[in-house]
Amino acid sequence: MSYEKRVARLQEIVANLEGDGVPLDDALKLFEEGIEILRLASDELTTAEGRVQLLIERVEGVFETRPIDD
Amino acid sequence: MRRSYRTSTPRAAVESDLFGSSAATRAVAPVTPGSTPETAIPVASITETARAVIEGSFSPLWVRGEVSDFKRHRNGHWYFCLRDASAQVRCVVWSRSQRGIPTSPDEGMEVTAYGQLTVYAARGEMHLNVTAMDAVGDGLWRKAMEETRLRLDRDGLLAAARKRALPYAPTRVGMVTSPDGAALRDVISVIRRRAPHVSIVVSAATVQGVNAPAEIVAAIQRICRFGEIDVLIVGRGGGGREDLWAFNDEAVARAIAGATVPVISGVGHEIDITIADLVADHRAATPSAAAEAAVPLRSDLLAGLRGLGDELSSSLNELAMRARARLENGAASLKRAAEIDAERRRAAIGATAGQLNALSPLATLARGYAVARAVDDRRTLSSIRDFNAGALFTLTVRDGEILARATESA
Repeated sequence: MSYEKRVARLQEIVANLEGDGVPLDDALKLFEEGIEILRLASDELTTAEGRVQLLIERVEGVFETRPIDD
Repeated sequence: MRRSYRTSTPRAAVESDLFGSSAATRAVAPVTPGSTPETAIPVASITETARAVIEGSFSPLWVRGEVSDFKRHRNGHWYFCLRDASAQVRCVVWSRSQRGIPTSPDEGMEVTAYGQLTVYAARGEMHLNVTAMDAVGDGLWRKAMEETRLRLDRDGLLAAARKRALPYAPTRVGMVTSPDGAALRDVISVIRRRAPHVSIVVSAATVQGVNAPAEIVAAIQRICRFGEIDVLIVGRGGGGREDLWAFNDEAVARAIAGATVPVISGVGHEIDITIADLVADHRAATPSAAAEAAVPLRSDLLAGLRGLGDELSSSLNELAMRARARLENGAASLKRAAEIDAERRRAAIGATAGQLNALSPLATLARGYAVARAVDDRRTLSSIRDFNAGALFTLTVRDGEILARATESA
């Protein structure tokens, strides 16, 4: 899941929990899901290291990326 | 001009053409061709000689004048005159030479044209064979840009409604530029500083020269086919007007408009505005500014996540509090309902008891009546026929029952 999709899901969970219609059991499940997403999103920001790559198309539709020294 | 016109080298060459190929011949028969009707020379000789003289005397040069009689021939060549108050020279721009010229000049436009002065034998005319041209104040470049802008506008590609919002947190940024250029270095350093978790995918293109437009178009289409990017930067570092010209190319503009992800243009310096800037979803003044627009600060993203985490916790807390309140409310109202119910039942019992009392034979007994009943089956003995002489029966009175005997029948 992309970072933005994760954040969007997290916002959806918060909105659900803030609403009135969620049974406590479901709310706990949502909360746990939210915590997990929070962890993944946070990891993505802090542990992932961005790379710089050159895109090469071997034949049409067949791609390769090669690191560029920066 | 006059100085080069008088150089002696071409004249020597011309003389050897006109007067025959050999110096020896000239020495023996010093007859000047064309000096008598008998030695008249063919037309082609004179035009060819004139061409050699003129081309030999003039190196390619810039000429300034006003454009008139501009014609675009159906074979693609342009013909026009350059004139000033007292003179004119015919000009031609072969179609293959037009690539280096932004667009055709307008009638009456003050231009400078660069070319070789020559003679066109078929017409016997002197003309300037133009290979480069510009108008005063960059007029041709501005005209060419304006023409492209109008065509794109007609197709709706410049409409504000077409502009796509940039992703607020991309993790992969595409970049179409030269892999060796300053633009890429700038973009990398800005993204490293702002959002070190973001990857950059470079689709390489030459960004100046005649091949640049086609390469930029191909690079944009290539990275869009690749697909794994959230946003695309198209740009290059600063340079002269001609260096940036590829970013005014119509095909480049259309490729930007057709990109599958939002495009940020970052071409040259602040003052350079290109057609690419007009079509892009976001115009950044420089490649560095494009990178800043493309990625948010990681610290802002982390703060946003912390905020969401807080909201998550507090929403659960509130939910639990609401649930508890609901439970307590429920218990209270349950108790209230039970009390109301009990009260209602008590009242109902009281009422029934009253009714029962009114109907009860005991009340009659209280007034002094008695009920006779059989001893065995306790049926009520209400007729004299129910009594046998000497038989025992019970008599119920207000406060109890007694055993009695019938002594004789009535």
